Amino acid sequence: MTRPRVSRFFLYLILIFFVILFLLPLWSALVTALKTEQDLIYTTPIEPPKDPTLEPLKTTLSIMGRPLLNSLTFTLGATLLSCLFGSIAGYVLTKIRFPGSGIIFALIILGIFIPYQAVLVPLVLTMVRLGLYNTIWGLILTHTAYGIPICTLLFRSFYEDIPDSLVRAAQIDGAGTWTIYRRVILPLSWLPFAVAAVFQFTSIWNDLLIGLVLSRGIEAMPASVALANLKGGFVALWNLQMAGTLWYALPALIIYFVLGKYLIKGYMAGAIKG
Amino acid sequence: MTVSWKAFKDRILTITLFLPALVLVGYFVYFSIGWNIVVSLSDWKGLVPSYRIVGFSQYLKLISDPVFLISLKNNLILMALFVPGSLALGLFLAILLDQKVRFEASFRAIYLLPFTLSFVITGYLWRWMYNPTIGVINTILDKTGLGFLKSGWITDPNIALYCVVLALIWQFAGYTMLIFLAGIRSIPESHIMAAQVDGASGFYLYRRIIIPQIKFSFFTAFVILMVFALKAFDFIYILTSGGPGYATEILPLTMYKESFAMTHFAYGSAIASLLFFLVMMIVVPYLLRTYWRQEK
Repeated sequence: MTRPRVSRFFLYLILIFFVILFLLPLWSALVTALKTEQDLIYTTPIEPPKDPTLEPLKTTLSIMGRPLLNSLTFTLGATLLSCLFGSIAGYVLTKIRFPGSGIIFALIILGIFIPYQAVLVPLVLTMVRLGLYNTIWGLILTHTAYGIPICTLLFRSFYEDIPDSLVRAAQIDGAGTWTIYRRVILPLSWLPFAVAAVFQFTSIWNDLLIGLVLSRGIEAMPASVALANLKGGFVALWNLQMAGTLWYALPALIIYFVLGKYLIKGYMAGAIKG
Repeated sequence: MTVSWKAFKDRILTITLFLPALVLVGYFVYFSIGWNIVVSLSDWKGLVPSYRIVGFSQYLKLISDPVFLISLKNNLILMALFVPGSLALGLFLAILLDQKVRFEASFRAIYLLPFTLSFVITGYLWRWMYNPTIGVINTILDKTGLGFLKSGWITDPNIALYCVVLALIWQFAGYTMLIFLAGIRSIPESHIMAAQVDGASGFYLYRRIIIPQIKFSFFTAFVILMVFALKAFDFIYILTSGGPGYATEILPLTMYKESFAMTHFAYGSAIASLLFFLVMMIVVPYLLRTYWRQEK
């Protein structure tokens, strides 16, 4: 489909208009985070600072440093565990036929769509009873549990494409179910592990609600909650609010720009967010 | 004997490894939903749990609670505007990018970027965009001679909800674009070429040939957006916290405030259960339809 020159020109004009629209808030956050309080008043929100400063970034890092570290810890832990359990569940549900496996799969998949609100009160009570309220372990356990459904779906859709004959051949050689998983399935799984891990890292890192109800003090506070608290502490100090936003956005942005293609595969595999 | 012992051990090992997933999902999803429903049937108010079952009285209270009715109404408005808005903009972007555009991958990556960010981040970004005194939008309007369009945005109760919707469309359009683009690309080239030979082109080609073939992409995106619109919490919590007044209050916020700020646990759980049933009404037909499609 070749189009006349003029309409190609308008096509690119519209595309670039949307680029500006999609990047404008981020651009403004970036320049605002580098501004002094004077620049905040004397420059417009889209102008770069006249007198760039790193003070807002330093100040917010001193507040958000520990929460960022907390987030990194429980996000990595829960990502690893949910991928591992999801992989085993996906394997068992595709390669081992047993009565009721269809129902179990359906029930696990339904878990992807559960609104957190419907489990929030029992979740807090459970964590208090287990002594895991306001702990990193509590957040790891919770995010692992709610990550298993989507991981199971991602791994299952991938394992369905591995021919059953491969599994049967190993069975004939006398390999057990667990051995087949370790020797045959796992070595073929680097792609679904990459997809599930990037997807899980992003969604756990981005979560606010779970962190809000399961953390109280700084010991387990996620970065999302620390950032949410900034707007109360720094009213009208937009340079500090934007600096905090940048700190919290940084790991997610790095993941997106380096490993974005896996994230997109995750979104496409029927993924859901929120 | 040794073989069957080995097989038995293998079976035990498999079950042991599969068990954590089953137990975790079983407890944290299904048992917890049941527990929540029990709480919603009790009279638990205050910090000490009470499981005295009082039946559906919490649900009956909902009908006469003005805050609940406002947040239900806002939730419905949000769904009615945000879902078609995101679908339309996403489809528009997908069609633009389908014109053999140079740097397509870069455009796609930029349009999808907002969706990959946490709602806490986008919530902050849009608080700054909409800030009435020194925020981005009002300043730009001032500098470009459009000062008469300046507004209070999220601080104006008459338009705050629409501002929330616009910001959410900004965040989700890249995602719907991705789904539609994948749908368009999965149509066999021969179908499109056959239509082109028959003289179909431009707008007509999309309306008559391409869009009807990506019906399932619409269905998927529709369900995902509807579910999101029902349970959206993080974004509005940061952007407006439901304000000004109750102008942007929606059910998940009301549930959170009732349970965790006012300790009306039974009442909050009733709202949560209602949300659960609304989400299931959308998701269950979707999953049934998807698997029915796969079986065929």
